[in-house]
Amino acid sequence: MTFVEFRFLWFFLLVFIVYWTMRTNTARKVWLLLCSYAFYAAWNWKFTFLLLGSTTVDYIVGQALGRCESPSWRRFWITASVCVNLGVLGFFKYFNFFVSSASQFLAWFGLPASTNTLNIILPVGISFYTFHSMSYTIDVYRRKQPPVSSFVDLTLFVSFFPPLVAGPIVRAVYFLPQLVSSRRFSGVDVRGAVMLFLSGFIKKACIADGLAPTVDRYFAHPANFTSTSAWIAVLFYTIQVYCDFSGYTDMAIAAARLLGYQLPNNFNFPYFARNVSDFWRRWHISLSSWLRDYLYIPLGGNRGSRGFAYRNVIITMVLCGLWHGAAWTFVIFGALHATALLIHREWIRLTEGLKWAARIMRWFAWPITMYAICFALIVFRAQDLSRAGTAVKQFALFCGGGNEHFHRWLFFVIGTLALIHWLNYRRWFGESWRRWPAPVFAAAYGCTFATVLLFVPPHYTPFIYFQF
Amino acid sequence: MPVREPVSKVHVEPPAPQKLTGRETVIRALINTGIGAAAFLITCAGLRIALPFPEIDGGVSQKFRFFAAHKDEFDTLFIGSSRVYFQISPAIFDRVTRKRGMATHSFNFGVGGMYLPETAYLLEQILDLKPRNLRWVFIEYDEMQTKWSPENQTSRRALYWADWKRVSLLLRKLTDAGTDPLWRPNPTKLRDIVLREEDEKNTRSLLAFYAGQFEKNYANFARAADVLDYFLSRDTKKRRASYLGTASDGYVIRPGQMSPSQAAVYERALADAMAQPRTRPLSSYAVEAYRQCATEVRSIGATPIFLITPNTPQINIATENTGLPSVVMAFNNPRAYPSLYGSNAHRDGQHLTKSGAEEFTRMLAANFVELARAGEVK
Repeated sequence: MTFVEFRFLWFFLLVFIVYWTMRTNTARKVWLLLCSYAFYAAWNWKFTFLLLGSTTVDYIVGQALGRCESPSWRRFWITASVCVNLGVLGFFKYFNFFVSSASQFLAWFGLPASTNTLNIILPVGISFYTFHSMSYTIDVYRRKQPPVSSFVDLTLFVSFFPPLVAGPIVRAVYFLPQLVSSRRFSGVDVRGAVMLFLSGFIKKACIADGLAPTVDRYFAHPANFTSTSAWIAVLFYTIQVYCDFSGYTDMAIAAARLLGYQLPNNFNFPYFARNVSDFWRRWHISLSSWLRDYLYIPLGGNRGSRGFAYRNVIITMVLCGLWHGAAWTFVIFGALHATALLIHREWIRLTEGLKWAARIMRWFAWPITMYAICFALIVFRAQDLSRAGTAVKQFALFCGGGNEHFHRWLFFVIGTLALIHWLNYRRWFGESWRRWPAPVFAAAYGCTFATVLLFVPPHYTPFIYFQF
Repeated sequence: MPVREPVSKVHVEPPAPQKLTGRETVIRALINTGIGAAAFLITCAGLRIALPFPEIDGGVSQKFRFFAAHKDEFDTLFIGSSRVYFQISPAIFDRVTRKRGMATHSFNFGVGGMYLPETAYLLEQILDLKPRNLRWVFIEYDEMQTKWSPENQTSRRALYWADWKRVSLLLRKLTDAGTDPLWRPNPTKLRDIVLREEDEKNTRSLLAFYAGQFEKNYANFARAADVLDYFLSRDTKKRRASYLGTASDGYVIRPGQMSPSQAAVYERALADAMAQPRTRPLSSYAVEAYRQCATEVRSIGATPIFLITPNTPQINIATENTGLPSVVMAFNNPRAYPSLYGSNAHRDGQHLTKSGAEEFTRMLAANFVELARAGEVK
């Protein structure tokens, strides 16, 4: 069940009506918990036990951390929690990748090893809820968050259905306080939420899914296409991945808001970033800030020598890449971003106080950043390294490729979407609908939604971030 | 490129919240939700009326547009699957009927892979065009299909016919709810569906699929792509000809013959089928759909004729006591029509070769004239 299906609408209506009909906060939380597990079970009910097991371990660890004061015991408990969480994630997501990579590595040295990979199904959203859960124990360990006594609260925090399968990654310190008091319907910005849902729906169902067939066609056989087509496909993918992921996030935030809960913002016009560092402050903010606070800073952050700080950047970004998926393309994606971040840092350091450099960057910062982002996204999207190499050659060096080509008017589509995005960035669309009388707003919303459905393509493309 | 910080052009203060009691808030929310839902449903219905016939693969749109443009020229229509599409030549049919003193002008509306309930929907659309001279409608007689291959489930072809009339029959069939106005699902079947018992392993997902198709169809999902396709001129002359055939009568010749090994397999399957009694009735749901078709055909003054083509899977379908108020012209008896069942006349178990199709058309026309003369087809 995904947010763009009709059955989600019926599911959410049921959740919404029953939720707001209930009087006590506890009853509401139990109801939401049941619905969240039902939502997750719609993919594969067997993995609800994994979700419950992971939460139970973190609840026990949280309680233990709350009780004991001894630093060594606290370290033991937090290590246990991190090991269990990462162990589960590593097994389901990375086991086959590490085994086959190790085998290839040994074969490279002339040591052929017989390997056994397992037929493992990746539980949907495992990377997201593992990070939700880990943030709780780590924050309790750091004494930023008191351990929760209510198992229901913790279970609901980990499994709350809007961000469960594709984020944003919610931290315990952000969400658990919201569960303490009962939500009030009068405090819900219904109009804002439903408009945000509509905007997310358009991004995902109309734009991202509409662009997907062209992107899929190119990346299946990049060698068959011309360089111009490579540019079209890469730019299409750049738009697709943003609309797909931010569309999901918008719908998740909107659904949570309609239930009275706030989720953190995940995107802030990332394609208007003027350097890669700025990009990561605007793209998948909940992941980048999670990695900053729970990985980069504990590794030492910017402290120490330049080399030490650079090492931390590389480790963080490579792991960030690996978080996205168990494949070398994702590792290289992370490494490319690490390289771009380091180049940017060096540029800042070397050109500090130079006016000419500032003048150049005034004009070139944005195109260079976008080019770097597109370049890295090729590797991110490619099915394997050889196809990534072909696509990179076509995109960066305008060489290689075949005779197939896409219509050039697709550049017009790119231009139109970019213009709409820019106008939105400049707040051109405004929020005048907030002033409309409620019945007028409701009627206009119904008409608009019916019209939007015309533009949904007949095929359905799964959310890109579901696989992570 | 220099980028300034975003500037808010329109700054609108949200209206000050009114003090409402809980009861008033709920009533207002319900009224506004009702208005929104009504606006949604009305817009969907309005758009549905305004939009042209969808662009459907497999020749559906091409044939429909052609027939709409020439609707008053034809008095005989054949509708069904590839067993109609590639096996009935309107040119031969018309020649035979003319020779026998009962001139017709026919059109083949067969489409590859088109079974009930798609056939029933398309027939309804054709009849809605009010073809003034249409007198005889041959409808392929076969079981109602409930399965769609997963790879075709997201196609437009799986969506355009999914209105309530069709989907409700499918849902009834899947839950064995009978054809009475009041649905009475079979409790045993329901239990098996819920527990995913062996025979009903995929029924749950099929029920969800068809319910989803109905919603999508009502909400005009993906119809903008139809308009785009239409204006991008995907419907070229060459493409049209590939579906309408060289004589623009909807019949397309399919070349090919069976290899000796395929012929041996065919002969075995034929012998097996012939060994079984011809008593397999169609489900009550298929009969109900055909009854609806017959009523609609009669409502424009034409006569429905149900047709079973010569093919091995349909050999044991019962043709007596069908429950239909119309004639069933059955060619599913290899003993009565041996020339249509020889391995040299078949491309595979379900389809005839070019010469087999021509022979079948001639027999069909001759039988039709005889039935008409005998007053069984008016």
